[in-house]
Amino acid sequence: MTITAVEAADSRPVLLRREKFERGIGIALLVGVTIWLIWNFFAGPVQFINVGLAGLRLGAIYALIALGYTLVYGIIELINFAHGDLFMLGSVFTSIVLVQWFGAGTGSAKDWGLMVLTLVIVMGLCAGLNVTAERVAYRRLRRAPKLAPLITAVGISFIFQWFGLFLNGSSQKNWPKVIPDGGLVLGQVTIDWSTILVVVVTIPLLLGLSYIVQRTRQGKAMRATAQDQDAARLMGINVDRTIAFTFALGGAMAGAAGLLYLETFGTTRYDAGFQLGLIAFTAAVLGGIGNLQGAVLGGVLIGLIQGFNDGLPYGFGQKWSQTVVFTILILLMVFKPEGILGKPTIEKV
Amino acid sequence: MTATVDTRNALVADGITVRFGGLVAVRNVSFTIPERGIVSLIGPNGAGKTTFFNVLTGLYRPTTGSVTLGDKDVTGLSPHTIASMGMGRTFQNIRLFGLMTAAENVMVAMHSHTTSNIFQIVGKTRHQRREEKEGREFAQELLDFVGVGRHADEYARNLSYGDQRRLEVARALALRPRVLLLDEPTAGMNPQESAVFVDFVRRVREQRGLSILLIEHDMSVVMRVSERITVLDQGEKIAEGGPDDIRNNPRVVEAYLGRTGTEGSAR
Amino acid sequence: MALSTPEAVGTAPAKSDLGSSHTKRWALWFTAIAVLVWVFYSFILPYLGSGAQTLVREWMPLGSINEALVWVICAVGLNVVVGYAGLLDLGFVAFWAIGGYTAGWLMSTFFNQISNGIYVLSAAPPNQPGIHLNFWLVLVAAGCVCAGAGIIIGAPTLRLKSDYLALVTLGFGEIIPQVFLNGADIHGFNFTNGALGIAPLDNISPLPFGPSTVTIGKATIAISKPLGPFDVTAKYVIFVLVAAFCVFVSLRIREGRLGRAWLAIREDELAASMMGVPLMRTKLAAYAVGAFMGGLGGVVYAVHNNSVFPDRFSFAISIILLAMVVLGGMGNVWGVIVGALVLAWFNSTGLPQFGQSFNSQFGTDINFPSYNYLLFGAILVLMMLFRREGLFPETRTRQVLQEAERSDDEELDGGEV
Repeated sequence: MTITAVEAADSRPVLLRREKFERGIGIALLVGVTIWLIWNFFAGPVQFINVGLAGLRLGAIYALIALGYTLVYGIIELINFAHGDLFMLGSVFTSIVLVQWFGAGTGSAKDWGLMVLTLVIVMGLCAGLNVTAERVAYRRLRRAPKLAPLITAVGISFIFQWFGLFLNGSSQKNWPKVIPDGGLVLGQVTIDWSTILVVVVTIPLLLGLSYIVQRTRQGKAMRATAQDQDAARLMGINVDRTIAFTFALGGAMAGAAGLLYLETFGTTRYDAGFQLGLIAFTAAVLGGIGNLQGAVLGGVLIGLIQGFNDGLPYGFGQKWSQTVVFTILILLMVFKPEGILGKPTIEKV
Repeated sequence: MTATVDTRNALVADGITVRFGGLVAVRNVSFTIPERGIVSLIGPNGAGKTTFFNVLTGLYRPTTGSVTLGDKDVTGLSPHTIASMGMGRTFQNIRLFGLMTAAENVMVAMHSHTTSNIFQIVGKTRHQRREEKEGREFAQELLDFVGVGRHADEYARNLSYGDQRRLEVARALALRPRVLLLDEPTAGMNPQESAVFVDFVRRVREQRGLSILLIEHDMSVVMRVSERITVLDQGEKIAEGGPDDIRNNPRVVEAYLGRTGTEGSAR
Repeated sequence: MALSTPEAVGTAPAKSDLGSSHTKRWALWFTAIAVLVWVFYSFILPYLGSGAQTLVREWMPLGSINEALVWVICAVGLNVVVGYAGLLDLGFVAFWAIGGYTAGWLMSTFFNQISNGIYVLSAAPPNQPGIHLNFWLVLVAAGCVCAGAGIIIGAPTLRLKSDYLALVTLGFGEIIPQVFLNGADIHGFNFTNGALGIAPLDNISPLPFGPSTVTIGKATIAISKPLGPFDVTAKYVIFVLVAAFCVFVSLRIREGRLGRAWLAIREDELAASMMGVPLMRTKLAAYAVGAFMGGLGGVVYAVHNNSVFPDRFSFAISIILLAMVVLGGMGNVWGVIVGALVLAWFNSTGLPQFGQSFNSQFGTDINFPSYNYLLFGAILVLMMLFRREGLFPETRTRQVLQEAERSDDEELDGGEV
């Protein structure tokens, strides 16, 4: 919108009645959850910390997946339904490359080195898959009515799941981990080695991604394209390549998450991607879809929420885990689709 | 083009201010449309005309101010409610339902005036059949009135540009409106077509007894057809009066011509 | 800008071709085929030799046709939501589940707290605990419950834009089956028997009165006899009738003002609302009608399997239904029927049978049924890329999805503020 009549905002914006109501509910919710958490903490502090650490670990994995969703949504406003299955394929690829090809067992220095190598390989594979999907399917549908790319993404999700089925079989498979069991013991609390690994891998990846997006030319091209594709094109930015690059980044994140998942839980399932992918998407929405920091924040929050729900004595328990998360998703979409760090868009209709 | 005799107002907008975050698009604009009047709203690009329009039709809720249609307050009501209460409009870029026939386009606008529910529709009751029949007849009447009657069963997207514009008017008329809002209706027309359109607007007002509000950039049309002109600039009303008053108003001239940069030239 | 262009001539039809002759032709064909199928399985098949009988039993057993009909009912329902009104629903399986469990509650001995049993024109044996309603009544009840659920789900969510709506429906599609799975102990009350499901269901009968059966030649036609697991032909007739009802309702609604409103919303929601079409109410109506049909499908499915289990209602089902609608032709109920029949048959019988023959022929050991994910995924992708309007597009629909879409920023502002 061209801005011709600009007026400095009043000292405090006028809130409509409905927004006040929503803000009130949000605060009440936060207070309620905080009380619940404190209650649980005093019920069993050691358990609380352990559960919290597990939630943090899961949350970091969610954050990586959520970044992929948010990157793609930010640039072409597409919810990449297939992204969760890409993450699943990342874990499957890891099981093939690290365990079967490299024969990595537990703990030796060589195995750690192999794991790093596998990380690079798997990230590359997943990036490649994502870019291929974009090239083959989404690019042609960029100007099509919204229904078309959505349905296509669902179709690709199914194809990825088949691929996982093909590689991994229909039942869950268990794999030896390079990470030893157990962890760092601090008093009564044990920090799993897998948690440490997740943190050690995730933080550099996040920093690297942040650097790419903020400091490099490609990152600038991404941000420009996300704001206004046509204007970016007029400025000489190769939009096709930029979008492909974004997909590659998102895919790489998913691949890394896949490896971390395998090292944490030691299992692969062809259908793990869909479920966890949806949860990660909830995280992206919670943080503010299109916002990178939001994806990380959302991932950690959802990981903690899920961990607390499943592990704490006063939670709903694991069998209600998905219901809790998806209810959060639905409530978010209905009441606060812009999430925590997003900007509200003017509701037109 | 004397002032209308009727002193009642079909529509009253009072103190409308529209604020988007820190940006004020429309500031304290009051505006009336007299019964059976033809009025125009003009102003340079970015003056806030379309925003104001959107407030009238319910698309935006004004930050402050009220809109009254007839004797009912319609501020903040949803667009479809306001439409059903008697405000019809056309669009700057034609927004017909391209895949529906001309007749179907018009019949869509009758939705709020018909009452058949799902059960009556499935059962094809006498009530529903009658409504459909009357609807079709009314649609044909409107299509004939605007001059596209013979295209009733053609897809809207296949009609010529001029016919599409007329069809949009027919569709808006199906709402049996008190007020008809026309958004840049002569965009893309040559002078002959604009002249025909001026007569058409008058005919609509005479035969259907409603008020008309135009947003226009074509000054010749505005001067010829309007009984009163309101000028907006940067979200504020800077002038209001008959065509002669406006033509000679220095502030209006300055608003249109006294700018540097890209704005200012009428389309 | 050129104005008075001559009327568009050429390949697009000048006048609309929405004639009901088109509809009547399809209806006639399907009715004929349905009757022929019944005649074949009732009267002809018993007289054929064992070789032919085996062939039919392996490749086209009536049971798999019955199951395909369940998919048809649900696909026709989804078609109302996605095809007519343009709302992407990825959680349709929720209605299927609710319908199935409604059948489980109202047609079995599940509620054994009601020790004397509530019977209404039921074909179940008397003096058993639980609720035993007549099948047709259960159909109506399940449809209404699902319509209600559709309205509850839709009310807060239908104002979202299409991708968000898709996700929310997906969320519901996940939550509701999980609720059923965990429903064995909600505050001590057993709602759904959890993973054990509800089985068996009451037997149903075509009519609650009349002679038990009528025999013509080698065919026995059940009238009021409670249908057992071998009465596949009788169930076929019932399933066909339910499907036909759904198709009929679908077509009628499309013709009237509601169908027009849906079309207008699908084309240009904003313009529709400014022409007096109440968006929320109209979208909710689409949801409710689609959900109603989903409920019918759920009951029929429960009867077909004589049971309700929560693990049957997976997310994949919603996607398969979507593939059927997309393949057949969004908005074209006849195309959707064909798509549903073909894909359902292929999924349940065609692919496994083909796999068996292939493997025994070539000595391979390929797990063919696991390729169905690839199949359905590929169908969705290929159809969207190359033939978005489906195999049997309606005249209208063919043009909707192929048009160079209006760019997203052609809003009312027109660039102005």
